[in-house]
Amino acid sequence: MRAQFRSRILLILIFLIFAALGIIVRLYFVQIVNGEEYSLKADRQFSANSGGLFDRGSIYFTRKDGSLISAATLSTGFLVAINPQVLADPEAVYRAITDVASTTVSRDAFMSASAKKGQVYIEVAHRLSEEEGRALSAKSIPGVQVLRERWRTYPGGSLAAQTIGIVSYGTGDTLAGRTGLEAIYDGTLSRSEDSLYKNFFAELFSNVGNLLVNAEDAREGDVVTSIEPDVQTRLASNVEKLSIRYSSKESGGIIMDPSTGAIIAIASYPTYDGNNLHSVDPALLGNPFVEHVYEFGSIMKPITMTAGLDAGVITPATAYNDTGCITVNTYKICNWDGKARGTTPMRQVIMQSLNLGASWIADQIGQKKFREYFTGLFGEKTGVDLPNETGALLGNLSKPQQVGYDTAAFGQGIAVTPIQMIRALGAVANDGYMVQPHLASAVRLNSGIERKLDWGEKVRIFSATSTHETIAMMNALNDEILYGGKAKIPTMSVAVKTGTAQLTKQGGGYYDDRFFHSFVGFFPSYNPRFIILLYTNDPKGVQYASETLDVAFLDLVHFLIDYYEVPPDRGFDSAQQ
Amino acid sequence: MRFHFQLSPISLCGGIVGILLVVYIVLIATVMSYAALTIEFSQSVKDDEAAVAALEGQYLAAVARTTATNYAEEGYALPIAKTFVRAKSATALR
Repeated sequence: MRAQFRSRILLILIFLIFAALGIIVRLYFVQIVNGEEYSLKADRQFSANSGGLFDRGSIYFTRKDGSLISAATLSTGFLVAINPQVLADPEAVYRAITDVASTTVSRDAFMSASAKKGQVYIEVAHRLSEEEGRALSAKSIPGVQVLRERWRTYPGGSLAAQTIGIVSYGTGDTLAGRTGLEAIYDGTLSRSEDSLYKNFFAELFSNVGNLLVNAEDAREGDVVTSIEPDVQTRLASNVEKLSIRYSSKESGGIIMDPSTGAIIAIASYPTYDGNNLHSVDPALLGNPFVEHVYEFGSIMKPITMTAGLDAGVITPATAYNDTGCITVNTYKICNWDGKARGTTPMRQVIMQSLNLGASWIADQIGQKKFREYFTGLFGEKTGVDLPNETGALLGNLSKPQQVGYDTAAFGQGIAVTPIQMIRALGAVANDGYMVQPHLASAVRLNSGIERKLDWGEKVRIFSATSTHETIAMMNALNDEILYGGKAKIPTMSVAVKTGTAQLTKQGGGYYDDRFFHSFVGFFPSYNPRFIILLYTNDPKGVQYASETLDVAFLDLVHFLIDYYEVPPDRGFDSAQQ
Repeated sequence: MRFHFQLSPISLCGGIVGILLVVYIVLIATVMSYAALTIEFSQSVKDDEAAVAALEGQYLAAVARTTATNYAEEGYALPIAKTFVRAKSATALR
């Protein structure tokens, strides 16, 4: 019995030894004898040996119904690489590649690459489609590798390009976000290279904690923005049209929810297509909304007016004596037309955009209090989620000369970024509360959790009463003055203010014939859902912002009312209700 | 019936080695299959995402075309008057 059992054990052992030998022999053939062939086959199937496939999270637009549309995502396809040492007939190979690949492959570059016999791997074509890649791979040309490839793609092309940003190689060999949201959320969007290729059992034995709660899953994800693609398209179209029409140096626009700071659209012109960066002027890659400062001109007057009302130094019934021009610290300040109005009520400072009225209010507020209001609004960066944000230039408010305060009151002599400007004007629209502008509303983590982003507390700058009194003036400007009174919407109150600032000269002083136009408006006036800021820099053949920007502004107002079905806030009699 | 079961240490060790060898081979096969499936599924997801991105690109291009269309040139007339909807329905139906 025992002998029988032993013989059986022996048989099993012999079987196992032969099985092990068989496996070893097989491994020898796979790895040593046919190793190169399998390596090439694996390369064709997956990726180049030099590194893993590019992976990165997405950035999304959010439609008004909450559905997400990719602003930045990944495309997949194939690249073609050659091994010049194996390539037998470069001319035939070139023809074979160009037969299937729509991607332009330069013949000279290909022949030059194939002549480099000292190298074994040279990439000659990128971004082949799935069909093209498979067709070329099926030809099994010796010396030609068809490898899987992924790259960053922007389905909207130039849509919000400067805000979405780009991914590129920096000083090293790593693709990373360099500008815009791609840069600011790089830590969330970038992916660790080993995530796909990790060994399950190695992880199990070496890092049990990571399998249960993966730290990367809690950090890596997709970014969801508040940008609405249809509104963004409309704003971009309007900004482009006006910039081209007036041959402006640059133009831009922001649409924001003044109560939350969520940016719904942000567009500038000129811009670029993130999918085609070969011929892009590097200067365009920056973001003018946070990196450039401008003297915005008269759209600063609602802020000065609200500050005066909030400080209690004026009321809507207050009047001042308008002389047309005044001299302050040897500098002459005039109204836009140089004309005197005599005794003028505060309402007309906004309605007629009177510089002297704004300066008079600044005098009444006093330097200390005026500085407090303006540094409260512009003294710090907004903290918007865009890189390289710069601060305002408020140097004139640190000097004792009154002229600095008088000119700041109508938006000259101080320079702020567009994002600071819309935040400050948003405080007027939002019952005196200043909010933090932002683009990202949530991060969708790999773990599946959507983390809503908290954008801080509101800061009270003005009283609600003072803002409502200013809004009434801005409302009257829209209903009675703008577009010859035709801008009035019977069923919707809209508060507006135009701004025309003289451009500064390089050596100091201002041009008499070159201007910066700006326009701000929000609606419904007393409970606004949208605040719109438009600007155009150095438009040609036109002097006032009311001539350049009102069409674009009113188009946006009507579009937003229709698109979001904003209910009327006036002019709707009870019979209709 | 008398049952006598006895193993020498060598046979026992041999058996254990055999079992371990089989387990090891199974583990390798499992890990390789797991890795291959992970890569395959991941690539499949990325392919689908890329296909969705292409559709999203078409959608955004359609939005841009619609925005750029001059409807007056297409023969449409501007409305004589506009009445905007109320905030809440006049009926109980929502």
